[in-house]
Amino acid sequence: MLFSKQLPIAYNKRFLWAVGIILAVLMVLGPVYLLIKYSISDIGSINTGGEPIPLWPYNPTLQSYIYLFTDKHFYQVIFSSFIVAFSTVVFSMVIGVPAAYILGRYHIPGRKLVLLGIISVRLFPDIVSVIPITEFFINTGLHQTFAGVILAHSLLALPYVIFIGIGAFESIPLDLEQQAWVMGANRYQTFMKILMPLAVPGLAAAAIYTFLLSWDEFIFAYYIVFGRQELFTLTLYLNGIKHAAPQNLLAAISVCLSVPVVIFSFMVQRYMIAGISTGSVK
Amino acid sequence: MADLVLRSITKKYGNTTVIDKLDLEVKSGEFVTLLGPSGCGKTTLLRMIAGLETIENGELFIGGKNYNNTPPQKRRIAMVFQSYALFPHMSVMQNIIFGLRISKAKPDIIKQKLSWVVPLLHLKGLEDRLPREISGGQRQRVALARALVLDPDVLLLDEPLSNLDAALRETAIEELKRVHRHVGKTIIYVTHNQVEAMTMSERIALLNAGRIEQYDKPKLIYDFPKTVFCAEFIGSPPINFVNGEICVEQHYSGVKTEIGFLKLDRERTEKIHDLAGKKVLVGIRPQSIYFIEHLAQRRHTDTHIALTVELVENLGDRSLVVGRCGDGPIVRFIMTREEDVLPERKMTVFVDGRRIHLFDPLTRLNIFRENGTI
Repeated sequence: MLFSKQLPIAYNKRFLWAVGIILAVLMVLGPVYLLIKYSISDIGSINTGGEPIPLWPYNPTLQSYIYLFTDKHFYQVIFSSFIVAFSTVVFSMVIGVPAAYILGRYHIPGRKLVLLGIISVRLFPDIVSVIPITEFFINTGLHQTFAGVILAHSLLALPYVIFIGIGAFESIPLDLEQQAWVMGANRYQTFMKILMPLAVPGLAAAAIYTFLLSWDEFIFAYYIVFGRQELFTLTLYLNGIKHAAPQNLLAAISVCLSVPVVIFSFMVQRYMIAGISTGSVK
Repeated sequence: MADLVLRSITKKYGNTTVIDKLDLEVKSGEFVTLLGPSGCGKTTLLRMIAGLETIENGELFIGGKNYNNTPPQKRRIAMVFQSYALFPHMSVMQNIIFGLRISKAKPDIIKQKLSWVVPLLHLKGLEDRLPREISGGQRQRVALARALVLDPDVLLLDEPLSNLDAALRETAIEELKRVHRHVGKTIIYVTHNQVEAMTMSERIALLNAGRIEQYDKPKLIYDFPKTVFCAEFIGSPPINFVNGEICVEQHYSGVKTEIGFLKLDRERTEKIHDLAGKKVLVGIRPQSIYFIEHLAQRRHTDTHIALTVELVENLGDRSLVVGRCGDGPIVRFIMTREEDVLPERKMTVFVDGRRIHLFDPLTRLNIFRENGTI
């Protein structure tokens, strides 16, 4: 009796949930579908001459990709993007991780002020901070160089690296560190052998985030590279040809922009296992 | 192995004094427990010995050498944390040899130590497991093994059994005793559990509010508590306290109390001769009050008191009876299972005059101990 009354309500609720979830998935996957569809479309499926654009191209083709990967210039652009993103990761980790360790472990005087200073660059819209930074780079000779772009991207990434890093180090019980000291390990050994391995999941997250941030960053790269073609990253390249190239080529470039993001995320995913430190401290 | 001496050790956090001019001497190879309620400073004291807390004042000697300002890495101590603090990313074996690796021990020494400690603590077959893959009791043994292989002068244990369930704790206590007998290390053991302290230690330092109330063999702390705090803290069920006044007459010496006049044994009677009329706090352990049917069976030093049973708690093999003397105070005592009692019953019980403790209500000290008699 009770069940027969309650079941329909539960069923309705479940139905609403299902609809919501399906809608959400469609909203996320929709653009991905469009992107892939365009990138493998033949020109006839795009310029249909008034006919509605088909859900699937008439003659799917990899021509756009073939065109891109036979273009030497495109390789150079990908390489540039990769170099910039990778250097940004290395640079901001080398600077950010030790900073996060100190800020996360020791209560240094003025800690809050330092944290505020670190996050301040992200308190303003990028377009606001890009002008003075470009101005500064022009004066110091970093304008229109990779070093300038890497430095600017690191500036954007560092607040995240440091804040995620602080969280990672703070979540490691103090007992583990002190146990290592009592067992004779000095601070450097403790950091390298105990803290770093345990902070890896958090730091990996910070590294992915930094990579993605740099890989698809546009505004800073645009102002700092300022038209110098041989320094173009993928986003700048895409921007440069957006009026000239057909849609299927633009879509193919966009797919190329996304693929490393997906791959990189999968690569570091195994470090993101939740609860790696369960069982150490009860 | 080495002895440990604390002289006038003081610890302050800001204006609060956590440990106040504390003195403690531990003989080489001795098993000493720091026992006390939470917040009494016992863990802080242990951490000061380990070098994880600074020493504001006083001196710390291990093996005759001053260790006040030695960093934890350079002290020849090992410590087992309450949390065990096993390194979660290392296997059991890597955890055990971590300290040896750090000190650059030779591979054959590491091998030799492993083949000694692994069977000693029953860790065979677990070497390649991660800490999260073994049970609480096994983690505790790994933490102990990791400390033992370092061959420390002093082994510090911070409530290592508090995370184990009751049954496992029993085995762990036996295990620890066995290991101590086997390795003969100086051990400082911190706990708030009096059973652990009583069963394992050679001496107990009972701490209260940053001071040592009593430092004695377990049996002596139980039989001759130095202060009111010691009498209250040690013993289960808790000791009974009643107010009284010392009464000295020709054939009639003892204490007049709220629950009646209590006789003392001859030895104690002689010691209170000069204290006639003194107000005292009388401590009687529940185990020193007993029930017998026949008056004739009582000892001549025992006094009978009449009470009404209020509550009976079943403890399994015996019962804890809570009774009230007239309108006076509550008295707790133990009865064996065979003697069945029900609430509201009026009964007569006997107080063992040889085991009555008298305390000065002002100084809170045991009067007999104060006079240097016991």
